Amino acid sequence: MGLIENLKSYSEEIQISDDKKDLLDSFLSNGFPTTKDEEWKYTSLKKVIANEYNIENKGQVVDDSVIEKYSLGFENQIILSDGKLINIPTIKGVSISGFSEFESNTNDSILNLNKSLSQNGFTVSIDKNTVVESPIEILFISTTESNFSQYRNRISIAENAEVKFVERIQNLNNSSSFVNNFTRINCDKNTKIEYNKIQNNTSESQLIDTVNVYQEQDSTCDINTLLFGGSFTRNNLNFEQNGFNCESNMNGVSVLDNNQLADNHTFVDHKSAHCRSNEMYKGIYLDNSRGVFNGKIMVRPDAQKIDAFQSNNNLLLSENSSIDSKPQLEIYADDVKCSHGCTIGQLDADALFYMRSRGIGVEEAKAVLTYAFASEAIENISVDQVRLLSKKLLAQKLNVELDFSV
Amino acid sequence: MLKIKNLKAGIEDNQILKGINLEVNAGEVHAIMGPNGSGKSTLASVIAGKEEYEVVEGNIDFEDDDILELSPEERAQKGVFLSFQYPVEIPGISVSNFIKTSISEQRKATGMKPMSTKDLLKMMRDKMELLNIKSGYLSRNMNEGFSGGEKKRNEVFQMAMLNPKLSILDETDSGLDIDALRIVANGVNKLKNKNNATIVITHYQRLLDYIVPDFVHVLHNGRIIKSGGKELALELEEKGYDWITKEADKKWD
Repeated sequence: MGLIENLKSYSEEIQISDDKKDLLDSFLSNGFPTTKDEEWKYTSLKKVIANEYNIENKGQVVDDSVIEKYSLGFENQIILSDGKLINIPTIKGVSISGFSEFESNTNDSILNLNKSLSQNGFTVSIDKNTVVESPIEILFISTTESNFSQYRNRISIAENAEVKFVERIQNLNNSSSFVNNFTRINCDKNTKIEYNKIQNNTSESQLIDTVNVYQEQDSTCDINTLLFGGSFTRNNLNFEQNGFNCESNMNGVSVLDNNQLADNHTFVDHKSAHCRSNEMYKGIYLDNSRGVFNGKIMVRPDAQKIDAFQSNNNLLLSENSSIDSKPQLEIYADDVKCSHGCTIGQLDADALFYMRSRGIGVEEAKAVLTYAFASEAIENISVDQVRLLSKKLLAQKLNVELDFSV
Repeated sequence: MLKIKNLKAGIEDNQILKGINLEVNAGEVHAIMGPNGSGKSTLASVIAGKEEYEVVEGNIDFEDDDILELSPEERAQKGVFLSFQYPVEIPGISVSNFIKTSISEQRKATGMKPMSTKDLLKMMRDKMELLNIKSGYLSRNMNEGFSGGEKKRNEVFQMAMLNPKLSILDETDSGLDIDALRIVANGVNKLKNKNNATIVITHYQRLLDYIVPDFVHVLHNGRIIKSGGKELALELEEKGYDWITKEADKKWD
């Protein structure tokens, strides 16, 4: 048995449309991607899918104390418990509902699986000219053991609207849960969106998270991915720029220990001229943890005057940790500015001695330098609570009592 | 306060310090001079506890405790301060955050209560005023993009904030123009009192016009070959090092 078998028996129990059935059959016959697949070369799903899962199990009702524990306390909260929408905020100019059907690119088998069987998720539409002042917090809670859950979410932001999100997926037990989360974000003209992902799930949790962003003229979209927890995380972040003067910003901080694996795949498709993209991913690896970074930037033939910047900096803090980092630039226009850089290193011994000579203990000094390394990406986050939480989680991971917040 | 006896130390197989004897008491300023490669910076690093140096013989007592087995942070917590010849740039950490961490870790280690942010900021303001440092500097990243003078002033600022018993100034004058030198030296002078001591390590006499030593020691080839009062520095300035180093070489070879 294993996930494929679990999915087969599940699909026999439920009613789905013929289209979905076809999609699922094709997925089941091809199976999950393997390391032979270029996009999954350094990340194997073998162990993840060998486990037994309950598919979309409905568990217990969660009480407010659970929500309090995992939320950042924003007034606007979208809460899903085992896929069921249990809280929707009322915000002027914003309509929020549960799962809805929509298309996604069919060349991605993980998304095909999501499309064929997913029945849970949220749908958010922001009206024209609406500026949502307080961030909208999204909390996905899973209460049952060894659950395989899929969420399919859609966010549409109409012209001149502005909004910020903070998302968290949380398992309430220590079993090997597996989530396949997909979010499609449509940014209309002159919109501004910041989406913060706090990935700090329990130590046995596994996640494949895909975000597809479609941007129109004059829109700015920031996606910040803060990865601390979970045993297996694969993030696919894809931007498509379809109008002039779009800006796509990505900040990522991964802090891993034990046997954690995190794979950040990003793709910016510059389809239109006079656009920008900025990407900054910082990876910190302790113990036996492993990281993968793949940053693809495509500049299409007519997309002139593109300014694309990518950096991936990694700190290996143990001899057994590793990172595979791959920048991938495909440029078909001739008047563009693209730069990328990748570093892999250890903490600077001179800086460590300098700090210790000021009375700072060796573990604390290492932590401060590690924080300093990550801070550039953390400081790009505009939501105070997310920044503070990141600093707190970083100190926790490094096992020091330090307050980085001055 | 500081008693160094027959200190022999080096890096890997290369012995750099070949038997240093030095005693520094509270209220005193000692200058250690010497040509390049004589072991001046090594001595500073060994006192501060830099781990890449291996001490093969001798001891360093600080306030009657042997500190050779202590880590750099423990020595700092006891009151030893090293002003670096090349202060390290640490992007991502502001000066204020660095100093705050340093003070709170030192207080934690010595069992003192943490300082409130308000008191800390007040102390920073007072010390900045004392040292003639403009505000705005606190939020800059530690030494990042600082000029030579700013880096050295930042060292003296940390010294002022940490209030050490023994300060070792390693080539504080290197890379400074005369104005910067004067500011840094004035800062050091203002921090001097009868309970603390200063070791000034320098190649040139110039700095000693501003920080006047009680004792001058000449370090050559890992040994203190001559000690004297402040007039020794002037003599060195006039005659160079050759006249004593040659004599010493004859004696030790």
